[in-house]
Parts: sequence; structure tokens; C-alpha cells
Amino acid sequence: MSSAFTKSAARNIFYGGAVFFFLLLLGLTFDTMQTLPKRDNRANLTDSVERGKHIWETRNCIGCHTLLGEGAYFAPELGNVYTRRGPEFIKAWIKAQPTGAPGRRQMPNFNLSEEQLDDLVAFLKYASEINTAKWPPNIEG
Amino acid sequence: MNIAIALPTPQDRPGTLPGDLAMWFFIFAELLVFGVLFLAYAFARARNVELFDASQHNLDRLSGAINTALLITSSYFVVRAVDRIRHGASRACAAWLAAAMALGAAFLALKLVEFGGKFAAGITMSTNTFFMFYIGLGFFHFMHVVLGMVILGYVAVKAWQGGYSAADHTGVETGASYWHMVDLVWIVLFPLIYVMH
Amino acid sequence: MKYQSQAVAKPYFIAAIGLFVGQILFGLIMGLQYVVGDFLFPAIPFNVARMVHTNLLIVWLLFGFMGAAYYLIPEESERELYSPKLALAMFWIFLVAGALTIVGYLFVPYAKLAEMTGNDLLATMGREFLEQPLPTKIGIVIVALAMLFNLSMTVLKGRKTAINLVMLLGLWGLAIFFLFSFYNPANLVKDKFYWWWVVHLWVEGVWELIMGAMLAFVLVKVTGVDREVIEKWLYVIIAMALITGLVGMGHHYYWIGTPEYWQWWGSVFSALEPIPFFMMTLFAFNMVNRRRREHPNKAAVLWALGTGVMAFLGAGVWGFLHTLAPVNYYTHGSQITAAHGHMAFYGAYVMVVLTMISYTMPLLRGREANSPKAQVLEMWAFWLMTVSMVFITLFLTAAGILQIWLQRMGETPLGFMATQDQVALFYWMREYTGLVFFTGLMLYIGSFFVKGDKTQAS
Repeated sequence: MSSAFTKSAARNIFYGGAVFFFLLLLGLTFDTMQTLPKRDNRANLTDSVERGKHIWETRNCIGCHTLLGEGAYFAPELGNVYTRRGPEFIKAWIKAQPTGAPGRRQMPNFNLSEEQLDDLVAFLKYASEINTAKWPPNIEG
Repeated sequence: MNIAIALPTPQDRPGTLPGDLAMWFFIFAELLVFGVLFLAYAFARARNVELFDASQHNLDRLSGAINTALLITSSYFVVRAVDRIRHGASRACAAWLAAAMALGAAFLALKLVEFGGKFAAGITMSTNTFFMFYIGLGFFHFMHVVLGMVILGYVAVKAWQGGYSAADHTGVETGASYWHMVDLVWIVLFPLIYVMH
Repeated sequence: MKYQSQAVAKPYFIAAIGLFVGQILFGLIMGLQYVVGDFLFPAIPFNVARMVHTNLLIVWLLFGFMGAAYYLIPEESERELYSPKLALAMFWIFLVAGALTIVGYLFVPYAKLAEMTGNDLLATMGREFLEQPLPTKIGIVIVALAMLFNLSMTVLKGRKTAINLVMLLGLWGLAIFFLFSFYNPANLVKDKFYWWWVVHLWVEGVWELIMGAMLAFVLVKVTGVDREVIEKWLYVIIAMALITGLVGMGHHYYWIGTPEYWQWWGSVFSALEPIPFFMMTLFAFNMVNRRRREHPNKAAVLWALGTGVMAFLGAGVWGFLHTLAPVNYYTHGSQITAAHGHMAFYGAYVMVVLTMISYTMPLLRGREANSPKAQVLEMWAFWLMTVSMVFITLFLTAAGILQIWLQRMGETPLGFMATQDQVALFYWMREYTGLVFFTGLMLYIGSFFVKGDKTQAS
């Protein structure tokens, strides 16, 4: 092509384009932050939920499970486990680990106290009530 | 892809793109983004015609029409500016560019009034799919007008200082190409979102 | 090697390759745990193995980027590194911090590790890829800042080229966006939203600048094509990467509680994300075709072309496959994501680091290229690793499609574990292919020890 094609123009396109689209991203982020209160279930963000999230993190649950589809794909989705299994099942399940069934995937026992289990369940309940645009497609996650 | 405009002066190098090729990559990317967004709008509308028609009634078509006229006129001014620099008239080129920017500013002002009314009425991108496109695309285009004015402003200042000549004015063409793209997008956007139903 | 201080890249590259081996070993452990669930339990539970696998990947790629920067920046700036001693000190700090972190993962229960390392003061741990204890995170920031200071001073006093500026900008971006890893609000949606500002803006943002600069550097060297040509294309490609990739972040904001308009913005912009990768492929092939010299290091040329192709396939094609919101609704959080992740990381970042190592290592060891015998072995390694990664991706894709079909479609969906049992065959095939990959990696390391005849300059 005989048109001009200069490095300085290419550089300006790069810097200009990067700044421009970063500003667009910031604009959308600003709007997202304004809209989140309607979707993110923050009304139910209690101290117990907060402690539960801390337990979730410090046991590295995300290393096997997904939460709202993000994490590892080794074990079931837990964003909707509260609706799928209910609080009592969840607690009983965690306490019963590991199953020790030969050849089956094993979950460690984290020796959580009854109070910690309640906090974790509270966190999973809170997570299940976030408006996720109807994801997952069905209850199995 | 080619934006055909009846130029007062024939192009220096017939058959080639005016301005710098780098800018055409950018324009290509921009048109691709807008093109896909327009298709997405058509797709979304086809699935929910009633909602789109009902929401469309809330729009200020007069404001949109005036804005269309403003941008088309500004594009003409930019054409004049390119014509002037091809004759080596730097100051006249800068003046035409300044006039185009003034119209761009008027566009922005009108658009802000329009958006202000919608925001005051509590309408956001999350109101419904139609307003998502109306505000989202409108804001996205708004940003383009701002960027176009920044580019024209840079070119105008450089032209005023005599930075271009009849022989070498690729920069003016580069800026003009971008401005025409911004105009072109609006010419599609306005009927698509404000008028067609 | 034109400047003495470039030698500091060598330990970085050696560490990178060492950690790469560790990453693959843990990958093999995890792959086996997918089908033999209790393998190595409770010594190394899956979550620990995965943390080691992914963290080693990140750390060794960072070693690779840093080594590349310490080699490339002095050469582009046409002067010695501002402080080689600082670079070497940072190497040891980073290596020790990284090793301690991995040891901590393996031998201390994670909750205990969190407690020991001040996670109660500022909770940042336990989020995917950002599992590092607080001191490690702070260490990463310090190492990165020291490196940036060192490199920036070098560039400021030296020649400024598109390649060293883009490299520097990418590394600055890397350091800046990492700061979001210290923000961990209780609000899960906000936590996830800004978590992506590290993860997405790294791999689909600033890392692409680093990758582009490294690739451009090697292409300038091995093809002899005019720097002006390569540099302007570099700018256009990374411009496209950021134009599409910044708002393309929306493809992570479909189902995590963020507003639903992200489904539109994310789909539109991320659908265009393959464009820069495709341009990079064309770029690499074009420059090699227009070469003005026959560089004796054929292996480096092969890696450069390979990264062009594989980055496009892994990041571009496999990314596009599931980036549109209506498709992603079904594929989100399935083995499809894993398939994409493997090929994209390998094709874009692993291969570009190996390209850089392939080009620079012979020079760092005092010769223009390795002996033909060593290069043949390296090319064997290239093909074994690359082809097996293609098959790993295909098997994971097959597993993913079947998983989605059984678990997410239809009237009577199967549960998660019942589905996993159904797709076990593909996991086995992935594991066998992983062994081939490991063989390739061993050959790759072997190629560094093959002596052979001296290369004749052609």
C-alpha cells in the first residue's frame, strides 16, 4: 500500500486507543458500582457472612470448587449449593469428610466448629441470593 | 469500508486511503465494534419489538435530528479544511477545523441535555435492553465525539502554526478520516435507535 | 550478548525452567487425581496441588518476563543495566520467597499458613491464583518495583525504542494491576469484579504488551527485517489488543452478580479479541518470510512462529468458542474453561518465554546458536510439547462438551460427580498426553546439555 504508514501514527493510535478504551471501562465500572446494590444482596451481608467468607478463603475451597462458576472444576459448584442441598446437609457433609471411599475424590476435613459451620453456611446462603442472571442453567450447577 | 465523499479537490494519490494507515486500522476496529453493536441491537429488537417501540417513544427525536445536522455540517467543514490545506492555506484550514469543533461542542451540549433528562427520569442502562443500547451506544459515541474533537484540536493547532503544507498534510487527512467515521456512525445510529420502528 | 549486565538474565531463565518442571509435575498429579480421586490423599489434596500448579506457572512466567526484560532492555537501550547487582539481589529474593511459599503450601495447612502470615490483618488469601500469603504478595510488589526502577533508569538514560517502551509499559501495568490483589471486600460481587482487574487485565491486557515486545525483539534479531516495520506493526497489534481486551473484560461479568448489560459489552468486545492474536500470527510469519538473513538459531525461529500460531488458537479460537454470553451460559465454569486456559497460557505466554530463552540462552552461553544436534533436540521438544498441548486441549474440550450435555442440558440433568464419572475416559487420555508433554519438557532440558559440533555461520 502506498499510503503513509508511520511509526509515530501507530504509536499515537496505541496510546490514544488504550486511554480511550480504559476510560470506557472506567465509565462502565462506575455505572456497575451504582447498579450493584440492586443485585449483589448486600442487605444480607452480615457479620456471620463475613466470617463465613473468611473461612471459605482460608480453607482454599476455591482450589477444588467453583463459586458462581469461578474456581477449580474438580468439585461441585457451590454458588447454589444452599438451594440444592440446604443448610443441614451442607454441615453434615463437611463434617463427614473425607469419605475414604477407595479411588474416589476426597475432600479434607477442616475440623470446623459448629459456629464456623454456621458462618460458612450463612456465606453460602448469601452467595446463593446474588442475582446471577439466572445462572447456573439448572440446580446441578 | 470506504467513506466516499465528493471532495472539492481530487485526492492527491487516487486509489489510496487518505491519511495514515495506522488510523485506518483504528477506524476499522471502531467500525467493527459499532457494526457488531448495531447488529446486536437489531437482534435484541427483533426478539422484543414491543418493548423497543414503547421505549423509543420516550426519545427526543428533534434533539437527535438537530445533532445529525450538526455532525453532517461539521463533516463538511472538515472537508473544507482538507481542501484548504491542499492549497497550502494553513490558517483557513485551522479556521474550518475550529468551526467543525464548535459544531461538535454543540452536539455534545445537546446530547448532555438529552441524557440529563433521561437520568433525571431515573433511566439507566439497566432499565431495559432498549435503554441499555440507547445510553450505552449513545455514551460510547459521545466519547468518540470528544476524542474526535481532541484530534481535530491537535490538528488545528498544528495547522495554525504552519505545521502542514500543500505537499505534506497527511496529519490533516488522518484527523479528518477519524471525524468522518464519528459522523458516519451517528448517521447510522440516529435512524436505527431514534427513528426506525 | 552486547552488554555484560545482560548476563543477569541467565539465572532468571534457569529458575523459570526449573519451576516449569515443578508446575508440570503437579499438573500430572492433579490430572491423575481427576480419575484416581484418592491419589496422594491426604498428603497432597487436590486444592494444594492446584495452587502449586497455577502459582508455579505464574511465578515462572514472571521469572521469564523479568529475565527477558533484563536481557532486552539493555540491548535496546544500548547501555549497561542501571544496576546488575540490584537485579541479582531481586532474583534471589524472588526465588527464596517463591520457594518458601510453595513449601508453605505443601507442608502447612492453608488455614494455619494464613494465620501465620498475617492474613487476619489484611485478608487477601484464598482467592483463585491470588492464594499467596501476604508477605509473598508484598514481596512480589517490592521485586517488581525494584525491577521497574532498575529498568526505567536504564531506558531513561539510553535509547528509547518501541520495543523497550512497550516492554516497560507492560511491566508497569503488571505491577500496577497486581495492586488490586490487596483489595478483598466482604461483598462477594465486588471481590470478584476487582479480582478480574488483576487476572484479566494481566493475561488479556498488559501481558500482551510484554508478549508483543518480546516477540518483536526476537523477530528483529532473527529476521533482520527493518526495525521500523516491526515496531509499527507492534504498535498496531497491541493497540488492537487493548481496544478489544479492556472492555472485553465484560466476558467475565456475565454471571457474577454484575449488571446484565455486560453480556452485550463483553460479548461484542471479546468477540473481537482474536483479531490481535491473528495479526500476531500474520506478523510473525510475514516477518520470517521477509527475512534478510538466515539466522543460525533455527529453533528460536520455530518457537517464534509457534507462539504466533498457538496463541491465536488457544487465546483467540478457544477463547472465542465460549465468549458469547448465550454460549457461556452453558460453558461457564466447565472443562471448556480449563481447555481454553491450558492452550492459551501455553500458546501465548509459555511459548513466548521459551522463544526468548531459545534465542538468548546460546548468546548468554557465548555462542550465536546451539549446535545443530542440540537444536534438533530442542525442536523435537517443541513438537512434543506443542502437539500434546493441542491434544490436552481437545480432550478437555470433549470432556467439557459431554459434561455440559449431561449436567446442564436436558430434562433430567446428572449431578456433578455422576457426570465426572461419565467423562473419565477423556481425563485418562488427557493424563497420558500430559506424560508426553512431560517427555517433551525433559527433552527440552536435555537440549541444553547436548554439545555437538560448533555451528557454522551460514
